[in-house]
Amino acid sequence: MAEQKKGWFDVVKSSYVWKSVFRHEYQDTYRNRVLQVSSNVFLHLHPTKIRRHALRLRFTWCMGGITFLLFLILVVTGIILMFYYRPTGEYAYHDMKYLQFDVPFGMIMRNMHRWGAHAMVIAVWLHMFRVFMTGSYKPPREFNWVIGVNLLVMTLMLSFTGYLLPWDQLSIWAVTVGTNMGRATPVLGHEGPFADLVGVNARYDARALLTAGRLISPATLLRFYVLHCIFIPLIAAVLMIVHFWRVRKDGGISGPL
Amino acid sequence: MAGKAEDGTNPEVHIWRIAPTRRDLLGFLGWGAVLNAIGLGTLAFVRFMYPRVLFEPPSQFRLGRPGEYAPNSTSEKWIKALRLWIVRYDDRFIAVSAICTHLGCTPRYLGTEDKYKCPCHGSGYRGFASGWRVNGANFEGPAPRPMERFKLSLADNGEIIVDKAIMFRVEKGEADRPGAFLPFA
Amino acid sequence: MATTVPETSVAGANVAVKERAAQTERLTKLVPDKVHTWPYLVRLEMLVGTAVMAFMTLWSIVVDAPLEEPANPTKTPNPSKAPWYFLGLQEILVYFDPWFAGVVLPALIIVGLMVIPYVDINPKGNGYYCFKDRWFAISTFLFGFLVLWIVLIIMGTFIRGPGWYLFLPGQFWDVHKTVAITNVNWNEFFGLRGEPWQTILGLGSVVVWLVVLPAAYWKTQYKKSETLQKLGAVRYWLTAFLFMTMMGTVVKVVLRLALSIKYIWMGPYNFNI
Repeated sequence: MAEQKKGWFDVVKSSYVWKSVFRHEYQDTYRNRVLQVSSNVFLHLHPTKIRRHALRLRFTWCMGGITFLLFLILVVTGIILMFYYRPTGEYAYHDMKYLQFDVPFGMIMRNMHRWGAHAMVIAVWLHMFRVFMTGSYKPPREFNWVIGVNLLVMTLMLSFTGYLLPWDQLSIWAVTVGTNMGRATPVLGHEGPFADLVGVNARYDARALLTAGRLISPATLLRFYVLHCIFIPLIAAVLMIVHFWRVRKDGGISGPL
Repeated sequence: MAGKAEDGTNPEVHIWRIAPTRRDLLGFLGWGAVLNAIGLGTLAFVRFMYPRVLFEPPSQFRLGRPGEYAPNSTSEKWIKALRLWIVRYDDRFIAVSAICTHLGCTPRYLGTEDKYKCPCHGSGYRGFASGWRVNGANFEGPAPRPMERFKLSLADNGEIIVDKAIMFRVEKGEADRPGAFLPFA
Repeated sequence: MATTVPETSVAGANVAVKERAAQTERLTKLVPDKVHTWPYLVRLEMLVGTAVMAFMTLWSIVVDAPLEEPANPTKTPNPSKAPWYFLGLQEILVYFDPWFAGVVLPALIIVGLMVIPYVDINPKGNGYYCFKDRWFAISTFLFGFLVLWIVLIIMGTFIRGPGWYLFLPGQFWDVHKTVAITNVNWNEFFGLRGEPWQTILGLGSVVVWLVVLPAAYWKTQYKKSETLQKLGAVRYWLTAFLFMTMMGTVVKVVLRLALSIKYIWMGPYNFNI
């Protein structure tokens, strides 16, 4: 048989470097379909084969995946915003104005971070709603539902701590209303029931732990910034790892038994 | 129950129920040390989050001479700067904290309706005409208790001094305590 | 796989591809309920992801995020609203003291959600949509989700105006609107002021609601109901407490709106319900 002329892409594909990166061919074969997933660190979150109904959007609504995508969007836009934002009383608000009116594409990044946060809250709710409606919290997935509820709480905490960062009237009053609930915590808040028995005061109580003092102040801003950018995302990421892993270990996406 | 071993001892009974071995003791001490370190570390972190010095505004302010306030009036002069009302009755001054006891918003003083009204959840508090004892008492909306009063005193030069760090709670019967009002003739 | 055609040649590859495709088909049919993640699921994820990205980009270009005046601790905006997803809680704050509406109720909601899989022992309805097989679980969840969450959020977002008064959508937000609200406590509603009525009626009502009613249901229904027998006392009381707390919250809201009841029970140490 006459030797066919190889194109430049065939030359690249048969090179040593290419083969060190991609371990298998792209041809649509049974083996390659499996390898595409199992030899890829990102895709191997999935099993190589899934049940047919997992493709039906009417069944899954795809809300878990959308939530994760929105989380990734928020991580990326959030990191981009961190290049310009300084979490101090003097600068925070000015940096917001700077981002909005001077930094190229700053407004879009800020918008996407904000609207993405709202969308993520909605997506998490819809995901929970779908999982409840299909009874997917039932054995063997009980514990993963608990992880999921914790992720819902983390999402709300992320939204809430992020709310203060623009340091405008909307943020400070929303957070005032929100954190003042903490001062009414039974036993641990200085205005809650039974506070007199324990002797907590405005300086040392559950709310002061969150707000770094009696008032919403620049110290609060810094504290919320750290919670928003590092502390809660880390916890959420760990919970997500467990959540996704358990989806597979508990029998994949749920379906009629 | 499994049978007894040949030497007559029961292998299912853990040995350290009778006498802990050196290994048990070391294990106990080791795990105890780890748990202690985690516990103390957590406590230290909680304490770390409460700084000794708070960089908050000073708590004592001079509010001018008593004569600067119109008789029988509620002064909104300091509401912006200090979040408090100075109320002058015939025989005394009181300083009412402008922090809603529901969730900490700033109520507004509505002179024509003779009440304080919170914009956040609609809590209402009694106004001037109710007298110095009832002034600031909650009567509508979700506020659980009356607004607090700040400590008032006179400086050497005759100016009124307010100390926002010291508060009096009317519902606990503290309205009569020295400092909860400034006597004035 | 044994094949005589050398795959390095293009013509040979075509034959090999066809043969492999046929093999893929055969192997796939062995497990009829399953499909390959690649390409079927990954393709779908790519499509959905692209759609979401396009939607988010468009939204971010068209609508700007709000930024108000700089933070000013002495100037409370009227009305002051929490982030929209907390407005349901802020609405509850009108009817309850902050220790309950802001701390205990949210905590109970979270705990309540987490215990659902452990108290719902109904094996039916696992992995498919249905109502008949689990009508109680679904009705309870829908009630909490739609009424206590979505409706309250819509209420807080659209029909609460200055002074946290109710305004119809489109109605002018009059900053000086006042409504005389004179709320009375539960015992005062019956004309019985002070102690011991406060404790008898107040604490009594709470105990009846949270303990006596569930106990009566348990006593009368236990023998008849197979569900209760399977559930057992611990799971029953956990469910009953959470369920009655949820329903009680609604009852208190209705009592406030209809009869201007301030507290059911004024307990010691500000323990007001």
